Amino acid sequence: MKPAHHLDPATVVAFAAGALSEAMAVVAATHLAGCSHCHEQVRDAERIGGVLVEQQQPDGAGAARREKLRAAMLERLDETPVEAPGLAPALPAAPDPDRLPAPLHPYFGTSFGALKWRWMAPGVHCIRSAGTGGGQLFMLRITPGRSMPLHSHGRGELTQVLRGAYDDVLGHFGPGDVADLDSEVMHQPVTAAGVPCICVAALDAPLRFPGWLARRLQPLVGL
Amino acid sequence: MKLQPTGGTPSPFEAIRIVSTSKLPANDGHDWSAEMVAVAQRRDRASFMRIYDHFMPRVCLYLKGMGSTAAIAEELAQEALLRLWQRAASYDPALSRVSTWLFRIARNLHIDRVRKETGWMLVQHALEAEEADHDGRTGSSAEAYAEHTRLKACIDRLPATQARLVRMSYFEAKSHHEIAEELGMPLGTVKSSLRRAFLKLQADVRGAA
Ligand SMILES: [Zn+2]
Repeated sequence: MKPAHHLDPATVVAFAAGALSEAMAVVAATHLAGCSHCHEQVRDAERIGGVLVEQQQPDGAGAARREKLRAAMLERLDETPVEAPGLAPALPAAPDPDRLPAPLHPYFGTSFGALKWRWMAPGVHCIRSAGTGGGQLFMLRITPGRSMPLHSHGRGELTQVLRGAYDDVLGHFGPGDVADLDSEVMHQPVTAAGVPCICVAALDAPLRFPGWLARRLQPLVGL
Repeated sequence: MKLQPTGGTPSPFEAIRIVSTSKLPANDGHDWSAEMVAVAQRRDRASFMRIYDHFMPRVCLYLKGMGSTAAIAEELAQEALLRLWQRAASYDPALSRVSTWLFRIARNLHIDRVRKETGWMLVQHALEAEEADHDGRTGSSAEAYAEHTRLKACIDRLPATQARLVRMSYFEAKSHHEIAEELGMPLGTVKSSLRRAFLKLQADVRGAA
């Protein structure tokens, strides 16, 4: 299925430049793994990075040091390359519907079935990942037909739908779609009928919830 | 870390001026992918060392801008160049420029080793595996070369503010909100300027292809 909602080009640039927080990068990568459109944008942004690196003007200083490094490099050309461990993750032969997208594995494990959901509010379960240096990374599972409280975002939110769907003012978001929102957007997602909606989301700053769910979600998002 | 290694700290505007008006070195028009093909097919050491001499100090500067210490930047840049030599066989000149390849390797090493982000390399491998599955845009090495030259000219023509935001993203790994705070600009303006800059560069490259 081709995603209908994509990453903002500004997010694409930040991902390629290595300028996204770890949490945002994980969600962006989850989208990229299933979206050849955005993936190609990232490749373009990396070409820009290559040109920028090449355009730099090194000064002529440190000639002696450079000679030394050059000699060291020449000596290493006969080394047998050491492959770093775990460089080639084994891909399953057939697509496994229980398998989480690969970018999520270090943070949430490998399968939907093994996720340890925590109850947050009626119809809302969540898992917060501990392992990110920057930003908040969490998964949400929301029962069908449920309305989330109206909220806006402190700095930015990136949400990738993995299963199920929801609707808000920006449209219909199904599996593979990403909502790349900035701080100005106020929205109130409503999950679609059918299966529970499972998303992975990243925040650069805590959400601002007016109302009751704020108290529920605040411990979750670390306020 | 700032963009220029010596002589105090240039303001971002000075940095842009330096970049956009500086004379490019004599070997700027060099076709590095031809050298890379010689490395791939004949393990040509002279070709590789020409690539090394040109790119090593540039990759070093890039890594220092990203926040590596001088010593770590040297170490990672050496490793990036060594990987280029060791993995030359998988180099496809029609798919990527030498500079793009090195940019990716250096960026990945930095995020993996210096920022120690657990998932980054896994993500990159997952994306590469996916890339191998479907055909990306293909073209000859000559087309890729012309495209590279156009991209260079287009970067030089960016309005000052856009150029500044692009550089803060790529060379200082600053997030949108960090840029907004540092420059006292609204976050929305930072994002829309970056968006415009990227779409312009992309249109130039693709439109002329
Ligand atoms: Zn996309």
